[in-house]
Amino acid sequence: MSRILVPCHVKGTVALQVGDVRTSQGRPGVLVIDVTFPSVAPFELQEITFKNYYTAFLSIRVRQHTSAHTPAKWVTCLRDYCLMPDPHSEEGAQEYVSLFKHQSPSMTFPKWLSHPVPCEQPALLCEGLPDPSRVSSEVQQMWALTEMIRASHTSTRIGRFDVDGCYDLNLLSYT
Amino acid sequence: MLQEESDLSLIIAQIVQKLKGSNLYSQLERQAWASLQRPEIKLESLKEDIKEFFKISGWEKKLQNAVYSELSVFPLPSHPAAPPEHLKEPLVYMRKAQGSWEKRILKSLNSMCTELSIPLARKRPVGEQKELLNKWNEMGTDEPDLSLFRPVYAPKDFLEVLINLRNPNYENGDSLSFRTHLGLIQVPLKVKDIPELKECFVELGLNIGQLGIDDSTQVPPELFENEHVRIGQKVLAEQDSAAAQQYIRQGSPTALRAELWALILNISSQPEDVLYYEQLKTNVIQHDLLVDSLIYKDVKLTASNDDYYFVFEDYLYQKLPQLPQCSAATTLDQSAAIHIEVLLCFSRDTSVLSHFAYNSASPPKSYIRGKLGLEEYAVFYPPNGVIPFHGFSMYVAPLCFLYHEPSKLYQIFREMYVRFFFRLHSISSHPSGIVSLCLLFETLLQTYLPQLFYHLREIGAQPLRISFKWMVRAFSGYLATDQLLLLWDRILGYNSLEILAVLAAAVFAFRAVNLMEVTSLAAAEAVLADLSTLKVMPLLQIFLFATVT
Repeated sequence: MSRILVPCHVKGTVALQVGDVRTSQGRPGVLVIDVTFPSVAPFELQEITFKNYYTAFLSIRVRQHTSAHTPAKWVTCLRDYCLMPDPHSEEGAQEYVSLFKHQSPSMTFPKWLSHPVPCEQPALLCEGLPDPSRVSSEVQQMWALTEMIRASHTSTRIGRFDVDGCYDLNLLSYT
Repeated sequence: MLQEESDLSLIIAQIVQKLKGSNLYSQLERQAWASLQRPEIKLESLKEDIKEFFKISGWEKKLQNAVYSELSVFPLPSHPAAPPEHLKEPLVYMRKAQGSWEKRILKSLNSMCTELSIPLARKRPVGEQKELLNKWNEMGTDEPDLSLFRPVYAPKDFLEVLINLRNPNYENGDSLSFRTHLGLIQVPLKVKDIPELKECFVELGLNIGQLGIDDSTQVPPELFENEHVRIGQKVLAEQDSAAAQQYIRQGSPTALRAELWALILNISSQPEDVLYYEQLKTNVIQHDLLVDSLIYKDVKLTASNDDYYFVFEDYLYQKLPQLPQCSAATTLDQSAAIHIEVLLCFSRDTSVLSHFAYNSASPPKSYIRGKLGLEEYAVFYPPNGVIPFHGFSMYVAPLCFLYHEPSKLYQIFREMYVRFFFRLHSISSHPSGIVSLCLLFETLLQTYLPQLFYHLREIGAQPLRISFKWMVRAFSGYLATDQLLLLWDRILGYNSLEILAVLAAAVFAFRAVNLMEVTSLAAAEAVLADLSTLKVMPLLQIFLFATVT
């Protein structure tokens, strides 16, 4: 099963604060980012990747439609996941983060998110032993990634610093 | 759980990739092929038999040491989405600050070239090459005219840049208050407090034997020293890097130090390494670099500076009694020659470029004369990408007392540089980076010696302005040589430079009484001018384990 990027629309941040936004001097500590998935067929969400910028704790809530007739409900998938162990210092402040659906017990995507294509086996979302074929595909993906690193990285020492025996230089370049 | 497994496979893949290009890999391959001749290697159990052979013959240990070395030096692989610059330095504002600082250095070097009408690099005419080859061993005593050259920068210039570092996303109140701006460093990096340092440096505790304390003349050697030496010899016999690193936290016996450092840094002088060094010497003969003059000048300044000269001369007279006194001067001249040779070769070593993957700095770029802008004529300058600054040669000086064979001395210095010393002059958020060390020093002083800190600040003697030069040079040239080596033992043992900041704070604590009485920056500097009589291990132990927190 291959993984693809799901097109999504990330809206601007909205501050959560008590009181009149215009007159209040307070700096809200909580911001909300809405993410919508416009016109996409139901999919099985595997991973959310983002670059942090000074967010200390992250919660994720998902709105699900259980059926066409009942109103949509908000479900919390992740609560206060720590991104910065010490919010007053730089640790974790600008790190790249991936959240996987099987990462921790609190991280469960509701079953409705997995709409397997009819001819495929239904995916296992429980916390028990992971499905072996899933494990091997994960490891395969990691090895594919390391192949990419290998291809782009020249680790051999060339040793030569000159160009065809010439190393006559006048000035350093600023670019 | 799965995330950790995939992290592990990524780390393994990265280490395998790095080791595949190494001498060790080809040696292991050769050994495996040669082992097929051996009677105990059976075709039906080939893989297991060869693995067993590697274990018995010590090759598995060499591989373990190489893996351990990679783990110690290279940072863990970061997120797949992270670009290479993130690995160099994760914080954007620090990367930008490092970039601006580098630009200033480039401009300074360029203006020196233009003013003196000297090219950055040129090929030596054959006559000049011959002359240099003949005079190679006299590099310590000859007197070229270096008066026009000035260092590209001095540590105090770098300190000003660090003082002005700001996180654009950090606000600590609208008005200047007492708590803000107490120290010079204004960025909120995480630094350890004394309880955390005690956990980290647990082997320096009061109830654990130390070289530098428990080997003094008043202490009977049966209590600690003899056993410690015996264990050290065993560690060397086992050739285990990880065990050596653990052992050296309690200090290294003088006789074992050279081998222990080589084991920890995973340096073994192979014929290929000697050849490589000879090739570097050839490069020095063939091409003349502007940075060579800077190196010359730096070493000469060091050798003629009475304070520095004294600590090394003192060491020679005291620790090497078999050396007749009249040849100490010759030894120092020879030492200066080796110094210069090692640094000139270092500048030409392109293998150093690989450390820029995890160094926030980047190597300066240039173009072959007349080919500006053409990428196929783009080169790094100097070839190793490192521009020396005033005091740079102090990183080599202590090593000259441990290693006498130039190619081995060179390998040790290069490895020390790409593991530790580069962090002392690049702007990064790494816990062993100079910014963190400065902040750690200031925080320790403010927290545990608040009266002293406040007093010094009031008289215009910000403590960091005095201690910065000690930390940037890893105390080389300030401490007595035997004390410096005991300190560098711990840098290797803990794979961290944080001990430099702790020692700096401990020195202030030790001289606190005198410092409280001074009323000017000059007087404060005078109190702290001479560190050559200090014993580092008692100072560290008292500061960490015997101070009321």
